[in-house]
Order: sequence, then structure tokens, then C-alpha cells
Amino acid sequence: MKKLVVILALVAMLQPVCAQEVEVTSLKRLLEGVEGPAFHPVLNKSGDRLLFASDNGALKVYDFSDNVTQVVTRDYVAGNDACFGGDGKVYFVTQQMDENHLIYRTGNSYDLVTGRSAVITQPQHGAVRAVSATRGGTLRAPAANYTSSDDIGDAAWTEGSRVHVIVGGEERVFAPVDSWAGYLWASLSPDGKRVAFFAAGKGIVIIDLRGQMLAMLGNYEMPCWYNNDYLVAQNAKDDGHQFTSSQILLLKADGTFKAELTKPASMTMQPTCGGGRIVYTTIDGLLYEMTINIHE
Amino acid sequence: MKRDFFRFAVMAMLAAFVVSVATAQQPHVYINPGHGGYDSDDRNVVIYPFAQGDTAGSWESKSNLRKGLALQEILQKKGYNTSISRVTNTTADDLALSTIVALCNQSGADVFYSVHSNATGTSARCNYPMVFYRGYTGSPQVAYADVLAADLEPYLYANKNTVWTSSYQIWGDWSFRPEWGTQGYGVLRGNYAVANLSEGSFHDYIPEAYRLLSPYYCWMEGWNISLGADLYFGRVGTYGLGVVTGNVRDEHNKRLQECAQPFVVFGDDDLMPVHNAEVRLLDGSGNVVQTCTTDTLRNGIYLFKYVTPGTYTLQVGSPLHITQSKTVMVNANVPIYQNFYLKSIDDAPPEVVEYCPVWHEGDPAVNCSTPIVLTFNCNMDSATTCSAFTLNPPAGGNFKWEDSYRRLTFTPEDAFDVNTLYTFTLKKSAEHSGGTPMAQDFTMQFYTQARNHLTELAVFPYEDAPVHYTTPTVELRVDSLLDTYNLFRRMRVLNSAGEEVPWNKRSIKYNKRGDDYGFVRIPLVRDLVPDEDYHLILDADIADTAGNHLPAARDIIFHAVDAGADKPGMALVEGFDYWEDHPYLGMGSNGNASCNSEYDLGLLGGALVIDYQFANMDGQIFLSYSPDWGLEKEEWEQPFVRGNKLGIHVWGDMSYNDLSMKLISPTVSGVVIVPLCKIDFHGWRYVEVNLKDLVPDNDYFLKELILRCGSEMMGKTGTLKLDDMVRGESSGIDEVKMANLKVKCDGDYIVASADTWVQGIELIDMNGRCVKAAAGNCLNVADLARGVYLVRVHINGTSSTQKILLN
Repeated sequence: MKKLVVILALVAMLQPVCAQEVEVTSLKRLLEGVEGPAFHPVLNKSGDRLLFASDNGALKVYDFSDNVTQVVTRDYVAGNDACFGGDGKVYFVTQQMDENHLIYRTGNSYDLVTGRSAVITQPQHGAVRAVSATRGGTLRAPAANYTSSDDIGDAAWTEGSRVHVIVGGEERVFAPVDSWAGYLWASLSPDGKRVAFFAAGKGIVIIDLRGQMLAMLGNYEMPCWYNNDYLVAQNAKDDGHQFTSSQILLLKADGTFKAELTKPASMTMQPTCGGGRIVYTTIDGLLYEMTINIHE
Repeated sequence: MKRDFFRFAVMAMLAAFVVSVATAQQPHVYINPGHGGYDSDDRNVVIYPFAQGDTAGSWESKSNLRKGLALQEILQKKGYNTSISRVTNTTADDLALSTIVALCNQSGADVFYSVHSNATGTSARCNYPMVFYRGYTGSPQVAYADVLAADLEPYLYANKNTVWTSSYQIWGDWSFRPEWGTQGYGVLRGNYAVANLSEGSFHDYIPEAYRLLSPYYCWMEGWNISLGADLYFGRVGTYGLGVVTGNVRDEHNKRLQECAQPFVVFGDDDLMPVHNAEVRLLDGSGNVVQTCTTDTLRNGIYLFKYVTPGTYTLQVGSPLHITQSKTVMVNANVPIYQNFYLKSIDDAPPEVVEYCPVWHEGDPAVNCSTPIVLTFNCNMDSATTCSAFTLNPPAGGNFKWEDSYRRLTFTPEDAFDVNTLYTFTLKKSAEHSGGTPMAQDFTMQFYTQARNHLTELAVFPYEDAPVHYTTPTVELRVDSLLDTYNLFRRMRVLNSAGEEVPWNKRSIKYNKRGDDYGFVRIPLVRDLVPDEDYHLILDADIADTAGNHLPAARDIIFHAVDAGADKPGMALVEGFDYWEDHPYLGMGSNGNASCNSEYDLGLLGGALVIDYQFANMDGQIFLSYSPDWGLEKEEWEQPFVRGNKLGIHVWGDMSYNDLSMKLISPTVSGVVIVPLCKIDFHGWRYVEVNLKDLVPDNDYFLKELILRCGSEMMGKTGTLKLDDMVRGESSGIDEVKMANLKVKCDGDYIVASADTWVQGIELIDMNGRCVKAAAGNCLNVADLARGVYLVRVHINGTSSTQKILLN
């Protein structure tokens, strides 16, 4: 009798895990026949707009509500790290080269309503990076940073082997795991309580706003929050020269669950999430929109 | 106090500004040492003494990391800002390609170098540097990536520590890997720095794999990449120190093939790298500035880093080698390459310990093509040894060193003279590689054989030979067994356009031990084109097993014909399609001959096939239906008469036997023997004779075909095939060439030539009238009307008549 109770208790404990399932409810090509290869897709928080870099170099934004795509800039590098600010603007960086082949980077913003762009940080040599904040945006630059307002809200970004978090106007810097090469791809959870980032050589790390490590989700790249409990990430393999497989994974933020949203051979990569949508691209630049249903 | 504070504050602000500007103007280089972790995506080259998977062995990740760390160190000394994707070689450090790209983009780097080495991926071996950028060649995705590559490649290629097999290459990855589309190399994809991926050399070239084990060698690649960065950023003149490096090799001893599989070596890589060579860098006062010792990993690399410009002496020695010194001029920011080739230490005088040919008075004479081979007890100096070599009487020849200059072979240019006593002396001035001469002269003698070349016994096709165009066969026969190794490459058939007609190599027949003579018989793989001229080329280096070669190359012109072509004016006499009985071995066939016969598909339907064997030169075969054949054969309604032509198709096997026929007449006593041909050919041939020696006004019938042994060596056994025999009226023209008779007319003269004396020429018009004649072989016809004539040439009491056109 005692033995039976133990078995039933074990079954009861396993039940929620076994029952957790993910269902792909829709999958469709985006901008098929309209756009050529597209990379670096970024959804805004509500998931109704999509930034992407077209193969010929232009940074564009696609509006799901009216199916209209507008060109933000034709600068080739602008698609790298471009982001939506909480103020609705697009923040991006362009680069120029001087006569000694030094690269100078310029911070820019683009107003989606007026269609106007503005230079917000002058050309600087070194890393200039656009960071999304809950109420605006910020440009992190070696000589002078930029913030869209005095109260940009919360934000998270990485610099070297540090993760920076602004919460309530206070900037905090954490280094919860050792990583020689550095941290990448930091983002705040939708509820603003946790930060996900990638530590090179370690994988995806989840911390709280005090820098306490909550979970390590595995050596996957490009994490983005699907909701407060789940993230979507890229799992790419290579032979040292080229990619040999790449897929999109769904990861539970506490590290207890993982599911394949695409197969390794699909060569799908660079996922982004917003408003319940998942968008990713493929190695040859085909954009897909996916929706899922998670059965807890 | 207030004033001092203000002054301090201004100075602090100024200092901060200067630091800020200086930092801002530092080029930022992101370094990615390719691969990592000794994992499945790493490249392990298995070289002795390391087992597969041994991390002490050759791994691309390890050498890439050494290069990357060296580049980082050098660039930092040169005032660059650097980032690097890994500093150890672990699985965790083997970052995903997209991570590396993102790290580079986040770093704000100006340029990105992904440092690799290359592999062919095949069994072919080569060694040259390559640099890639993203995009199509000449059209980079990120501007100036092609400039960065062009600035880097010459520095990589200037590396004289290695052996390059060809020049460097610069590619856009989309052009280099078109099968990948625009996917390209993963570390260039999405990388917004000006990015290159360099493959510094080929690590599957085994000597290079050993070099890549050397930290010095890898450091130099880092140095060379830094020079490319300097050029790209316009900073070539800003760094004040130089580098001296090189490769220490043994001057004579060859590199050992210690790997499981023999490996290819190019250039000086066939020489043994010197282990534990101590290299010293001395300044102008003789003070040792730096020392470096080569490792024991079979690469011989030394390196002096960060050397102040000036003139230095390099001193290199090892326990087993004589010390060498060289002066080098070191310039700032320029690599100085100085390779050394060390002589082995050996104080004992060199000696000849073995030699060939060994001959003493009374021994059999030596083959005239025998090379002189000397084996020494140590490796020798080539120049002094070859100049100490004397031969009396003199003979030209070529020297060849083997076994790390321990064995010298002298091969005569053609062959030694026959029946000659040669005296060979190696003077004591010959030195070993360390410079010690021999203690005394070395002398030996040998006497040569009476034969010094290969003698051609027969060849088919011979000059001007008609060759039936289908399944043609070439055969060369010589007086001793041929060396068959690659023999078919030393002979070839060319058509009139100079194109080679390939051999049917699967059907080659060679001589074998015990054969009476040497031969090679090769069919051609394709039919010839009738009426086209061909060349049979025999190279002079066709040799027998003793090394005697042909006296000279041969260019034999022959003519393709269709032996089975229609014969206008000729009527079939006998088709040999099927005889009622097997041929009868007629009277006169002697006990020295035997034969079997059968029928086979011939040139023009069925053919009689006779396999025969002669015991000796007296052997002969008389072939007929019966003892009375010819006299009783009723179906022969057309007897032969004087002036008739008789033609027969004969298949020969180059037996050099003689085929003739015996004619008898019921009205005249005696027989007439008519020679048909010597079987000096392969394949089918149409033979035609003029029956001009028959007694007039009498009918003749074929009594027998006679085959006589013409060559005991070549003709004792063989096969003869006969096909359609035809008969026609004679035109009076004897078209059987006599003694290789050739008659030509250039318009003014008719000139006859033959293997024997031409006694005279007659020119006959078409009415049978002699219009001009002359003694000798030349007739002036300039004053005669143009047109067709008959020319009769008198040779050795007989004559030959043929048509000739004067035009």
C-alpha cells in the first residue's frame, strides 16, 4: 500500500511536465514575392510592426495592420541591432569610414508617423549601439550616450562581459557568469522582472533585477521573450566555416522545458517575438511568421 | 591655491581629451582564431609521432589560436585596440559562428580577421595562402573588404619559412563557393566590420603541418597579418621594431618519411629540418642579443621577435652540423627571412665503399649502357665530387645523387663505346659535405661489350608500308628483350594532323623471358582513315632490359589503305570461302613442317586459315586440294596465260615467311614458281603479281600455294589467312614494286630510286612506243608533251613498269 502511494505521488509529480505541449497553430511566409531576402527581423512589443534588413542593405519596417512596408534607411549596416523604442520610434546605427579606414558610427532615429529620420549622435569611432527602452530608446556610444528622454523607462543591454540594466532610472551592471568573449542579446521580460542574455561559451542566462542568476537555459543564441515564462532562441550548429543546421527552440525561462519549433535542417534563425507572434528568417532570408499554443 | 586648482583642472581636462582622442583613433581589430576545442569541427592532421586525436599533435584550432594570440600581442604593441573571440582551446571557447559575428559587431571593431589554415579535402597536395571576404570577387558586401584582403595577402605570401606551390588567391566567398549561394562563410555573414577570413597555408601538406606545430611559425603569421593591418590603416611606418626568422635545414640529408603514408614534399621541404639548432643573433659588437633553438617537431623554424633595426650576424650550429654565419640587415616593421642549409659534421675523409660495374681482367665484358654507381660512406659535396670525376676515354653523361648525397650515378649520354677499356678515376679532391677531401684517388676499370645499342630486327608498319585500315597493329622487334615498363609511352602513331591515335593498351603483347627476340605488339584502338598518311614514332629511349636503347628515334611514314576495296577488271578465281576438303599437304612439304587449316570470317567473306609450324629454316608447306589439283579442277574455266595479273588477299602476322604459288600447264613441261610476297606485315594486304614469265600461248593452272620459312627466328610458327584470289588482264604495268622502287616526276625529270642499282629508264607512250630512254636513274622529260605515259625502270636485269603522269 505504501509502495502504491509513492508511485501515485511520482505520477502526479510528472504529470504536469509530461502534459506540457506546444502546438504550432499557424505558420506562413511573410512578404513572399514582395521582398527579397530579409535578415535581422525585430518585432515591436505589440507585435504589429516588424523591422528587417533587406539583402540589398535597406532597413525596412513592415506594418502587419495594413501590409505596408516603408524604408527606414538604405544604409547597409543599419539592420544590425536596430530596435523599436518604447516611444514608437526606430533607433538604428549607420557607419562611415574615414580616409584611414577607421569606421565612424552614427546614431539615428526614425519616426514611423512622420517618416522622418534624425541624427541623434554624431559619428564616433568605436561601438555605437541602439538599445530599446520601455518608454524610448538609448544610444550607447564611446564618447557620448544618448537617451530619448529623461525617463526612458527600463532597458537592458550588454557591453563586453557585462549586462547593463536600467530600472527605475537606475543603471545596474552585472557579471553573473564568466565569459571571456562577452555577453550578447540582453532583453527584459515583458513584466520587467527578469533579464535574459547570452554569455559566450555558457549560453542563455536568466537573472533577476539584482543580478541573481535564476537559470541557465543551454548554449543557444539570440534569446527573446515570448511571454513572461517562455523564450524563443536559435540553436545553430556549424563546422567552423558554415552553418550545418539551425532551428528555433521554445525554452521555459526556469529551464524546465524545451521544445523544437522548427527542425534542425530547416536552417531557421534569428527569431524575434512580440504580441504573441514569432517571426524568424532562414539562412537564405525567407521570413516566416509563426503562432503557437502552449498547453501547460 | 585657487589658481593651482584651476591649473590642475585644465591640465586634467586636456589630458583626458588627449587620451580620449588617442583611444578614438586607435584602429580596433577583432581577431577570430578559427575552429576550437579539438572537436568534430576541428581539423586534426595525423603526423608522426602523434596518434589520431592526440591534442599534442597538429590541430587547426591550435595553430589558429597561436596565430591569433600572436596577432593580438603584436597589434597591442603597435598601438591597436583588439578583441579576440577565444584565448583557450576548449569546447566552450569554440563559439558558434553567429555568436562570433555578433561579438564583433558589438565590439565596434574596424576590421575582423578570422584566422585559419586550409586543406584540399582531396588526396592532392598544394600550399598557398588564400583570403576571403563576403560577396562576389571584386564586389564585397562591406566596402573595402577587398582592399583589406589585398593589403594582407602579399605579406602572407612573402613568408619564406614555407614552400609555396603557387601564388596567393583572393576571393569573394560567394564566387569561391557558388554551391553555397550567398550563404558564404559563417563568420563573414552579417559581419559589419571590414572582414576577412584568411587561410594562411594548407595544413594537409605534411611539412606545413609540422611547421604549424611551431609557435614561432604561427607567431610569424600573426606578424604578417599585423603588417597587412598596418598597410590598411596607413600605419606602416609607425612601428620601430623588426623580426628575423628562418628555416634551418640539413644541406643534404633528406626528410624522413615517418608518417604511416608517404607524403608529398615540394622544393626544399625534401631536406631534413635540423632539430635543436641553436641560432644566435649577434649585434655589431659581437654581443648575443637573442638566442633561439629549433624544436624537435620536424620544422626547423627559428624566430627573433622585436629586433631593433640594424646590422646583425646570425650564427647557427647544431651538435651534428658545422656552424654557419650570415649577416642580416634588420629594418623596422619588415620581416627578415634567412634560411640556413647546414653541412653535417664529419672529420673522417670520405671513401667509396661500393661501386659498379665491378670488372676484373678476364671477366665478361660490361654492358655499354651500364651506369657507373659510386656509394660513399657519408654524404658528399656535389660540386667537388662531380668535378673530380674523370673517365678515359672520355664519355659525356649525367650525374644523379641519391640517398642524401651518398650515392652518385653517372649515366652515359648515349652509351659507352664498344670493345673499349675504360678507366674511371675519382680524384681525391672530392669532398664530403663538411669539406673534408678523400684520402686518395679511387680508380677502377671496365671493358665494354661488342654491342652498345638496341638493334631493330623488324618493324611494322615500315616506311611507305600500306596498312589495312581496320584493326591496325604495330610491332617492333629487336635483338634482345625489351624493357616493357611504360614502353607504350615511348612509341606513338600520329595522323597527318599530328594527332595521336591511341593504343589499345589492353591488348598489348610484350616479349617474355625465353623469347628469341624482343618485341612489343600493340593494336590501335581506332581504325585508320584509308588513303591518309600516318607516322609511327619510336623514341630513342626504347631500351632493352640491359639499358641498351635505340641508336636514334624513328619517324616512319606509312599509308592507310582498304585492302578489301573493289579491284576493277579483276574476276574472282577462288573465294576460299569453303574448300570441299581441307587443304592437302602436297608433295614437297617436308618433315620439318606441319599445319592445320580451318575456315574463318575473312576480309571478303570466308577465308582459309592455316596454322603452321616449321622445325627449321628448311621448312616449307605446299597447299593444294589433291596431288592432281590444278589439272583436274573443272570449274577453273579461265586458265592463266602470260600477261595475266593474279591478285590474292593475304592476312599476315609478320612472320617474314615467303608466300609463292606454283603454276603448271598441261601443255608445257615444268612448273612456274611465282613469288607472291614476304609476310612482313600485320593484317590484310592485297598482293598482285604480273604473270609475265609464263610461256606464251599456253594455259596455266594453279597447282599449289607454297609457304617457305623465311626467318627461323620469327617464322617458325604462325598463322596465314587467304581470301579472294582474282585474275585480270595485264596492262603491261608491273605494279609490284621492286626493291623499294620509287619513281617520281617533278615535271622536267623522272627520277627512279631503289634499294639497288637502277640501270636505266624508258618512257613509253600509250601506244606502246618508247619515246625516250636513258641509262641511270634520271630521264629528262621537259621537252615531251604532258600526259599519261608508262615508265619502265630496269633494275638488276629485271624491269618494272608503271603509269606516270607528266604535268
